[in-house]
Amino acid sequence: MEYAIELKGITKSFGPVAANKNINLSLAKGEILALLGENGSGKTTLMNMLSGIYMPDSGSIFINGEKARINSPEDSGRLGIGMVHQHFKLVERFTALENIRIGMRGNGRFIHGKDVRKKIEDTAAKFGFEIDLDKVVANMAVSEKQTLEILKVLCYGAKIIILDEPTAVLTVQEIDKLFAVLRAMKAEGHSIIIITHKLNEVMAISDRVAVLRHGEYIDTVVTAETDEKALTELMVGRKITLNIDRPVIEKTHPLLEIRDLTVKNDEGATAIDHINFYIRGGEILGVAGIAGSGQKELCEAIAGLRKIEEGKMIHEGESIVGMSPKKILEHGISMSFIPEDRLGMGLAPSLSITDNMILKNYNEAKGPFVDRKSAREEAQKVIERLEVVTPSTETPVRRLSGGNVQKVLLGREIKSGPNVLITAYPVRGLDINSSYTIYNILNDEKKKGTGILFVGEDLDVMLALCDKIMVICHGKLQGVVNSEHTTKEEIGLMMTGTLNIVNKEGKTDGIAKDSAFTSDEEDKSV
Amino acid sequence: MSKFHLVRRADARIWRTLLFCFIGIVISLTIGAVILWVLGIKPWEYYGKMFTIGLIGNKYGYKSIEGLLKIFVPLLITSLALSLSFKMRFWNIGGEGEFLIGAIAASIIAFHSTGTPNFVTVLLMCLAAMISSGIIGVAVAALKVKFNTNETLMTLMINYIMLYVIRYIGETKADWNFFLREDSKRAKFGTFPDSAVMGGIHFGKFNLLWSVIIAIALTVIIYIYLKYTKHGYEISVVGDSSATAKYAGMSVGKIVLRTMFISSALIGLAAALTVSAAGTISDTITNGVGWTGIIVAWLGKLNVPAVFVISILISILQYGCQAAATQYPAIDINFADLLQGIILFSVLVADFAANFKIARKEEAKNA
Repeated sequence: MEYAIELKGITKSFGPVAANKNINLSLAKGEILALLGENGSGKTTLMNMLSGIYMPDSGSIFINGEKARINSPEDSGRLGIGMVHQHFKLVERFTALENIRIGMRGNGRFIHGKDVRKKIEDTAAKFGFEIDLDKVVANMAVSEKQTLEILKVLCYGAKIIILDEPTAVLTVQEIDKLFAVLRAMKAEGHSIIIITHKLNEVMAISDRVAVLRHGEYIDTVVTAETDEKALTELMVGRKITLNIDRPVIEKTHPLLEIRDLTVKNDEGATAIDHINFYIRGGEILGVAGIAGSGQKELCEAIAGLRKIEEGKMIHEGESIVGMSPKKILEHGISMSFIPEDRLGMGLAPSLSITDNMILKNYNEAKGPFVDRKSAREEAQKVIERLEVVTPSTETPVRRLSGGNVQKVLLGREIKSGPNVLITAYPVRGLDINSSYTIYNILNDEKKKGTGILFVGEDLDVMLALCDKIMVICHGKLQGVVNSEHTTKEEIGLMMTGTLNIVNKEGKTDGIAKDSAFTSDEEDKSV
Repeated sequence: MSKFHLVRRADARIWRTLLFCFIGIVISLTIGAVILWVLGIKPWEYYGKMFTIGLIGNKYGYKSIEGLLKIFVPLLITSLALSLSFKMRFWNIGGEGEFLIGAIAASIIAFHSTGTPNFVTVLLMCLAAMISSGIIGVAVAALKVKFNTNETLMTLMINYIMLYVIRYIGETKADWNFFLREDSKRAKFGTFPDSAVMGGIHFGKFNLLWSVIIAIALTVIIYIYLKYTKHGYEISVVGDSSATAKYAGMSVGKIVLRTMFISSALIGLAAALTVSAAGTISDTITNGVGWTGIIVAWLGKLNVPAVFVISILISILQYGCQAAATQYPAIDINFADLLQGIILFSVLVADFAANFKIARKEEAKNA
């Protein structure tokens, strides 16, 4: 077989930590290779050596059969390697065309606009991209930005394309579109490496799968000859079950009821538009929607962090509209939101785990001093219970890996014993093992009778974990479906606004039969 | 295409920082030595006098220590006060202006204090200075909280406004102007009545001013405040991520206002102690602590014990440079400033170099 890339004995250390140990990997011409591994297994480090960001300490790289030295991203580009990073590298104020053009190396000093446009349009047509070249990046949706990134590396003449977790931010339909493009690229003879956590995607798109574990190369297997279970075992190193539990619990009365909630976003546009829903004790209600459909604003509104324009929120019979975040917290509603950068809200990254434990209740200690002694004990408990990997309770949260950061956050949220837990993207960017730990924590809470609002990304997970799923599109409720009786496709259609079942068959979704709203109030709200 | 690029060192080590700072100081002293040599002064003699701050072979050595402490106290308190606001990522660079407001407020009390007991006067001076400086700090913080104005510009402007206010006071002969000497034809700042001049504890001839004791006590208090109290905790959270602070139910605006009040009030206190120790006011009373304090706070990484140690070192540098410069006719106080500038600059470069390294990009051999 002819290889586009061959890595032999690659080792890379950062100080005392070996990120990659003696890695051998090969990518055949015209194949799609999935690179699989848990967080911190060294996937991104390895790919960064191919794209010239890092240099290996030892080992050799062969590109198209020839030994290569890649000292800079320029070298990498010259060798025909293009990388699409997880965090896009685009100039927000520029149009798509300008973004592609700035990286072009012409022969002369000037590049003619017309030629560039022609070239880009041809490339886009060849692989089936849909893109408006004159749109400014700042106005683009995530999937458009990603399309632009891929188009960019193709225009620079890349024959080997590396995609770092490209599907993390896409909807089901968008992922299908992306995969179609990847197949078209493959048909044109391009070689592709795709990094992903999602096994169903690995099975769907790849020809072979290379597995890394703790910085070491484990094996490469042919996708057609393996299955998700076998891959997981390779990746984790032991047998684990892949089923997410959905324990059935006796549901209680609605704990939190939301009526006609309207909230604006930071720009003053309507983010949440007259939404109704309720959460019962002992159930997990999923919130599905394309990124930026108002999930963040919804969470913030419930937690008291965002002004409510209109509508009612009743928690255990008492209105929480207009309460301070602290009051709402004392009421037993706890919110944890994992933003894209994972650290922006909920944790103070430079502070220790101990200090982060008491973020919400430091004020309860008597006197002017912070009670660090009990905080340390709580931190220790969370570390033990949730298996947080950390040198000590005094380690700054910033130094922990993504999964451990999220465990710390969730651990703090549940230790206060809330009866409504709002959690947004709790497994964002986590590997399988850590994700399952988080699902188990949520299920344990559910068993205790807590009502959980789970804002998620991965529909497979939501279908398996949540009892019901409410779907929003542009801040409007599209319907609430029972996970037992729905399909991914139905939810996908609702997410894009094609399907709305709120008023299906005479009933109205999102309003509980045994609502705590009196008929009196009902009249007023109509 | 640049052949070199900067890389943050993965491991920041204290010994490396110290080593680099040492190298930086040696380089800057070498530059200074060349200048001295050109001017016909023996560098080692000059440096000898500088590092011993004129103590050796001087029967008035205790005067040197007193002079050193007079530089040290305002610098220490100002640096600590600035660390407080920097820790919250509130860029208070208005130390100079806040200091001058405090100095003027304290002087108003001082000039009207004939007859009141010394202890009461000094206490009133401190209170007046702290309140007036604090109010200005709160005003800037309020604009930031309410309208999201840029605190860097606001505090910077206060420096210039106050500088011209004090110059105006110092140059305007008028009946209302009690700041000036009545018996002098030229406009000249008056001296405080004895009731407003700070006393101290006498050890033989050496007079340990109360302000030194206050400054050291403040260091301990601020250390505890930042490290162990709820307020200190709130400052760290707001500084780290104000979104998180808001989410945790903290009222960020209140914390910013409170911390800025404390920060500015402390600078006002430094000013009151300084004018009281000096027994007069002038337009150079700040001795640049509003600026030097920024450097001290950052070199100390906003860590209270480190700020304390660095304040001592910088004070020795300042006082030593001045003390040595006054003993040679060929150079004056400006040379001391020049040398200080070179040393501080190289220390900052050293600090940077200890945290970053320049990596060479190897040229591609297969290009």
